[in-house]
Amino acid sequence: MTFIIPLLILTPLIVGLGIFLAGSKGNALVNTAIWAAALVLALSFLLVGHVYTSSAANDPANSSTIVPRMVYAPDWLQIHLPISVGGHKVHWQLQFGADGIGALLVLLTGIVGLATMSLATFQIKERLHQYLALMLITQSMLLGVFLSMDLLSFYLFFEAVLLPLVLLIHGWGDRAESLIASRKFLLFTLVGSVPMVLGLIGLALNSATPDRASTVSLQALSAIARETQLAAIGSAVNESVNAVDALAAKEQWIVWLLLLGFGIKLAILPLHTWLPTTYAVAHPNTTALIASVVAKLGVFGIIRIVIPLTPIALSTYAQMLFGGLGALAIVYGALVALSQTDLRRVLAYSSLSHVGFITLGLMAMNTEGLTGAAIQMFNHGIITCGMFLMLAMLEQRRGKISLAEQDRGLAAIYPRLGVMLVFFTLAGAGLPGLNGFVGEVLAMSGMIRVSGLFTGVAILGTVLGAWYGLRIVQRLLFGSDGNTRTKSTVGLTSDIGTKEFTPLVAMAAVCLLIGVRPQDTIRLVEKDVARIAIVSEPSAKAIHPEIDQRVAQIRP
Amino acid sequence: MLMAPAITLILGGSIVMAASLVLKSGTAQDVHGQRTGVAVVSLAILALAAILGTIRSVPADLGQGLFRFDGTALAAERLALLGGLILILMSWSTAPKANLGEYYGCLIIIIGGIPVVGASNDLVSLFLGLELISIPTYIMLGISKGDNAGSEATIKYFLLSAFASCFFLLGVSYLYGFVGSTNLQVIQSGYASGGRLVSFALAMVMCGLAFRITAVPFHFYAPDVFEGASLTMAAVMSYLPKVAGFVALIRVLGTGLGTEAVEVVVPVLFVCAALTMLVGNFMASAQSSLRRLLAYSSVAHTGYLLLALTALLRQNAEPNVLFSYLAAYAAMTLGFFACLGEIEAAGGKTQLVGDLSGMFYRRPAASIGLTVCLISLIGLPLTAGFWAKFLVFMGTVAAGTKDPWSIAMAVLMAFNAVIAAGYYWRVLSKLFERSDAYVPLRVFRPSLFVAYTICVVLTLVWFFVPAVM
Repeated sequence: MTFIIPLLILTPLIVGLGIFLAGSKGNALVNTAIWAAALVLALSFLLVGHVYTSSAANDPANSSTIVPRMVYAPDWLQIHLPISVGGHKVHWQLQFGADGIGALLVLLTGIVGLATMSLATFQIKERLHQYLALMLITQSMLLGVFLSMDLLSFYLFFEAVLLPLVLLIHGWGDRAESLIASRKFLLFTLVGSVPMVLGLIGLALNSATPDRASTVSLQALSAIARETQLAAIGSAVNESVNAVDALAAKEQWIVWLLLLGFGIKLAILPLHTWLPTTYAVAHPNTTALIASVVAKLGVFGIIRIVIPLTPIALSTYAQMLFGGLGALAIVYGALVALSQTDLRRVLAYSSLSHVGFITLGLMAMNTEGLTGAAIQMFNHGIITCGMFLMLAMLEQRRGKISLAEQDRGLAAIYPRLGVMLVFFTLAGAGLPGLNGFVGEVLAMSGMIRVSGLFTGVAILGTVLGAWYGLRIVQRLLFGSDGNTRTKSTVGLTSDIGTKEFTPLVAMAAVCLLIGVRPQDTIRLVEKDVARIAIVSEPSAKAIHPEIDQRVAQIRP
Repeated sequence: MLMAPAITLILGGSIVMAASLVLKSGTAQDVHGQRTGVAVVSLAILALAAILGTIRSVPADLGQGLFRFDGTALAAERLALLGGLILILMSWSTAPKANLGEYYGCLIIIIGGIPVVGASNDLVSLFLGLELISIPTYIMLGISKGDNAGSEATIKYFLLSAFASCFFLLGVSYLYGFVGSTNLQVIQSGYASGGRLVSFALAMVMCGLAFRITAVPFHFYAPDVFEGASLTMAAVMSYLPKVAGFVALIRVLGTGLGTEAVEVVVPVLFVCAALTMLVGNFMASAQSSLRRLLAYSSVAHTGYLLLALTALLRQNAEPNVLFSYLAAYAAMTLGFFACLGEIEAAGGKTQLVGDLSGMFYRRPAASIGLTVCLISLIGLPLTAGFWAKFLVFMGTVAAGTKDPWSIAMAVLMAFNAVIAAGYYWRVLSKLFERSDAYVPLRVFRPSLFVAYTICVVLTLVWFFVPAVM
């Protein structure tokens, strides 16, 4: 079954490059692109099925905290560098593999990819084949990140996502601002990711000892991290706390550099300013991909690299800071979304707010929180993708959408779109029975063991979230009988057709399914989360002994 | 016979130069034929040198003589031949009509000078090699462009270069006076007992070489020379002196510096690298002239290379790291110049960044070449530029366990790379800018096309096999 992994990464890449290189002849290949996206989705279902049924993670003798259920590591994926570390020549074996969390995000990429690309055929009027080609290349790079099982290929794909994305923003965004926005996106992301490579190099170099060559394999590195941490905490119990502090201080610079890189990608609060600009300038169809999958790269990086490999340093320096910033982002995003009238910006800030819940779950560093974060990554991806796709449909029919008077009462003319908009808004607001609820509740129940304050702020955020969600619905769909509309409706005026309706319905079905039956999704990630929690939970408790005391006080 | 490639090149260059005196008096003024003829002869000399280089066998005992054929010497030779191949291809259609023989003769002698520097194990042969590079450069600068800007660039370079050579000689004289030998191995073993006198001498030598590699504060000539000289000359200036300078630095400083000497030299290099990076990148982001931008970008790359040199001195990396960077730099920078050269040869302008506006729709092939080179200059994956920066980072971070300053330097370099991405992206986005009125450029120059195709292919291939870089 390991052939799925190269197939997943290479299919969209080869098809995308082929269409791109075919030049103007590529026009005829639009359907091929859609079929390639469909193939990726089918393969990702296969992958999820395999990971779901595999029992590779059950081996108690395996001390790694990251255990892929299938590994693809052929010999030709060895990198030899003209440099030696600690007396050993550098021969790094690159490997790809899938664990539950990775598989979940692969599935997300598959779903979002097919939905955005099939709808792009309606939305994008100029150079459609090039657009689809770049989307496919982006998809391939994203799948590469989610499937990589070593630091180097992780970083390579992480960086390579940038190029097609910048071209997508630049080439199909709003003419006037696309240059500035794409440059801002490029520079912001590079400010994070170029220093981040130093952190990754530091992790690889730290693994080298006189009798062990350096490695980049996540499996090996996580086992080493677990040993080091056990030794530090063990000696801390016996003697003094110094061993833990020393370990944290040694890894401090690595953690900060990594968090800078991932923090910018996930738009953590003071580093978020690229996000509204990019979302407001890029074509909404592109934004659907960026907001739902690309924004997850930062979260994925934290759960894949920072938490398993440097748990002590993370909980010493950044756990409370990032947790607080996450809680703040929830409220801040919601408040700004409430005060915007441009629908693109409303959705951008609402996305910012929802990512705050994921950050909160991650920074709980316990089983509930991590499970919530992993599931919410998927859920938020589907919901945001749906919202931005509907925005694209509305804009195609009415131009820029604002929540002012001229765009009110749309439910009367676009009934199908209205139904879907209500559904996805409710899912986003966290209505019980839909998927948004599951992840947010798990994330908050993880966080309440760490900090009551942050959880309280987050709960306030859910109220605000419902408020701006309902504001969109009320202003856009209702609030007028449609007679006062002054804007001329050029071009398409009819409701969405079946071909546009189907992807939305399919995504809504996924939302409903996870909302009603969350246990399948939880089972997919629970083994991986449990393994990560082996290192993250004790380190959080070692640094912050007061964690859990509040919960103990509340419980009888 | 170990020096065969260098001897071939220098002799060949002299013959080409001498032959031009004879041929020029002839009545046949077939410029096109002459161009092709001289270029083919030059390529043949280069090929002969390369063949002689591959068939010789390097003895295990390297000896203590004037020349020493260790890895550094071989790498310098390879870099010179690589650069030489691309530069000769670039010159094929851009060399000055009136002085073809002199031009190619000088170029080949410069290429031959680099292996001399690389192999020299003695201050005398080192200086000889460096001057073999400088003096022909003055001539080439003078004959390649006859206007005022060209003359200004020539005079400026000549005076400052002579000045730098004086610094170098001053330092060398102190080294000789202190150790009593011109042999570099003997001198290096004397560093440990040196004290201030040796530090002063090394500082002078480094000043002299800093000029060749355009390190701040010896970079002032670069923008003017790049702007005033012809495009091919700018390419020569951006690459060959830099290789020579870094190889000479490795030769003088050696990899066996004692701990005390390292503690003195490395902070100096850190400051120099930091200033070079910052000045290069900030000045480059402020330029609207493409030539000046490239000049400052070349300064910035010197800063990264200096950081690699510190890793080398502290034995956290092998000389290969520096040579890999230089190889990647050759492919991306010379490739960039070759693409610009093709655009210029086809009738386009390349002086300002704005001149490239919409070039993708006027000259797609060269623009794709430019795009690859720019991505490599930014240092993104899928290009050799990524590994170049990655290796420098690795070498610098490896020292970080003992010395937090190197991590700070690595972080500084990372931020500099981002600043650089800003102005490279400015150039890149110009290429794809849409404008209503554009005229396709249709003149095709096979030699330039081959030159940048080689560069682009190398840039892409080296990403997948970094070990052979």
